Amino acid sequence: MIQKKTELPQIFESFGEARKNGFLAMKKMKDNGKGVVGQFCSYTPLEIFMAAGLVSVGLCSTSDETIPEAEKVLPANLCPLIKSSYGFAITDKCPYMYFSDLVVGETTCDGKVKMYELLAKKKNVHILELPRRQDTPEAKALWRAELVRLKERVEKDFGAAISDEHLRDAIHRRNIERRLLKELYELSTMAPPPITGLRQLQILFGSQFKFNWDEKVAEIQNAIDSIRAAYEAGERPVPADVPRILITGCPMGGVTEKVVKVIEEAGAVVVAFENCTGAKPMDRQCREEGDPLTNIADHYLQIGCAVMTPDNNRFELLGRLCEQFQVNGVVEMTLQACHAYAVEAHSVKAFLQEKGIPYLQLETDYGSADIGQLSTRAGAFVEML
Amino acid sequence: MIKASVGIDCGSASCKGVLLQEDAVLASCVQSTGWSPRETSRAVLEQLLAKTGLARENVHIVATGYGRVSIDFAQRAVTEITCHGLGADYLLPGVRTVIDIGGQDSKVIAVEAGQVRSFQMNNKCAAGTGRFLEMSANRMGIDLAEFASLLPEGKSCSLSSMCAVFADSEIISLLAAGKSREEVAGGIIQLVVDRAVALAARVESSPPILLTGGLAGMEGLRIALERQLGQPVAASDLSRFAGAIGAARTYWMRKARK
Repeated sequence: MIQKKTELPQIFESFGEARKNGFLAMKKMKDNGKGVVGQFCSYTPLEIFMAAGLVSVGLCSTSDETIPEAEKVLPANLCPLIKSSYGFAITDKCPYMYFSDLVVGETTCDGKVKMYELLAKKKNVHILELPRRQDTPEAKALWRAELVRLKERVEKDFGAAISDEHLRDAIHRRNIERRLLKELYELSTMAPPPITGLRQLQILFGSQFKFNWDEKVAEIQNAIDSIRAAYEAGERPVPADVPRILITGCPMGGVTEKVVKVIEEAGAVVVAFENCTGAKPMDRQCREEGDPLTNIADHYLQIGCAVMTPDNNRFELLGRLCEQFQVNGVVEMTLQACHAYAVEAHSVKAFLQEKGIPYLQLETDYGSADIGQLSTRAGAFVEML
Repeated sequence: MIKASVGIDCGSASCKGVLLQEDAVLASCVQSTGWSPRETSRAVLEQLLAKTGLARENVHIVATGYGRVSIDFAQRAVTEITCHGLGADYLLPGVRTVIDIGGQDSKVIAVEAGQVRSFQMNNKCAAGTGRFLEMSANRMGIDLAEFASLLPEGKSCSLSSMCAVFADSEIISLLAAGKSREEVAGGIIQLVVDRAVALAARVESSPPILLTGGLAGMEGLRIALERQLGQPVAASDLSRFAGAIGAARTYWMRKARK
């Protein structure tokens, strides 16, 4: 069994208020005996941690603050998400990374895989081998075996026993959460939408940092109810005639909010996110009858991401969302050096061209140097719709 | 009462202004942007008003270019991409592709009846921009006009570096190795053209093609572009004002729609 970290980092006092609160909230949970698992990717099966009574938290760090530190080790022209994640790990500046007893990585891209090897020198790391096919029996078998291996690792590291009953209960609870988040973002199918895209993203992103499940679902339900009530009372935060945009591409949140901001400042509204913070992991429900581990494995493997080949599920979802949300244009955000998404952008463009939906690709990183150019591009795109 | 519209295209290198009455350009003016886009834009506006004798309250002002956000006296701001589309259609009615090589950006815009259909811009990098040419000319100890005069020779040499900083040291090496200024200038223009052609390929450009932006008057550049694209590339005396004309036109287009 591993030794759980409960003391605060030495640089704690110099931290900003929000992060200080994050540290204190996390410390309280640790003091109450909770184990914490940090993860980076939507493919990570959270049900396994939930079934073990652990807290899980997304570590895909979304700020450029620690990138200079990371660049002492990692190449500068690497994806900012990888550099930021690693930087937060080695500087103890992220409460979630700092207090993670176990960090679960996955083989979604070469940069991440190699970064995890370096990270393993600092943290307790477990890597899931993710296949790149979603439809073959071999891929499905490999992925299920990987989840068995993860379950055994969690049981060993945290001294927990994970029964099928625990897993079934976790699937059920996660399904409730997925259904609620889907209900929330689907509010923006209304015309005009009841919330801006920035607000939607902030709620979706923020929900990842609520660690008490009961409180989390209550808060999401509350958000849905209050947004709906305000709308019914006649509140219209978005004018009826502005172009409706869907964002697709790399994971969003944190500083990448800048992309939503430039689009909405240009006079459009973002109604949907076909991203990992958004529809990608929330669109489908996990099967509840039958072997729970098989169900979890099947469920996660079907997420449509550019790391898959072929990536049919992404296009199916993208096409469906464009119709459901009645979008006037699609903006793809790719992070610098994210080859899988950057290359697939060509296919996304062709796919949308066939549907007659205007498309714009924006490449960016976690810095603010490109805001002027982003706003010119986004502005011109909105002007042409 | 509004009698005319003023378009101010405040770019990173120069600030262009035109005063437009319906379809007639009554005055134009260009000034180096300098350190204050707002003050330079104000000076450009004053000159346009002085040239036409119109009062401030008789004009509607539309700003574009990177400095558009700081022009607080404009009634509206529109991106330079939309403006170049509209301006190019004014200069060459029926234009389908606009190649704009500006101070810090180069763009290729596909248009139909002045409306932008799609566009491509260089990333945050000076390769292939006016700034790149200016730096290269400086390195050769000449100004842009002299640089342009070296091009009609049609001489060229191969430069491999797309990066403005690396190209700078490559230019030094080539000159040191005895290449003529004509050859080096030709090589530099080829880099700019290659970059523009790569952008054009991504917007599936079609003729007629118009070259706009501050470098549109550089005949050697236009000819090199034609050669590489295998299609005629037009330029107009007012090409550098395309963005400003487009900005001024947005007023009349909106008015016509109402």
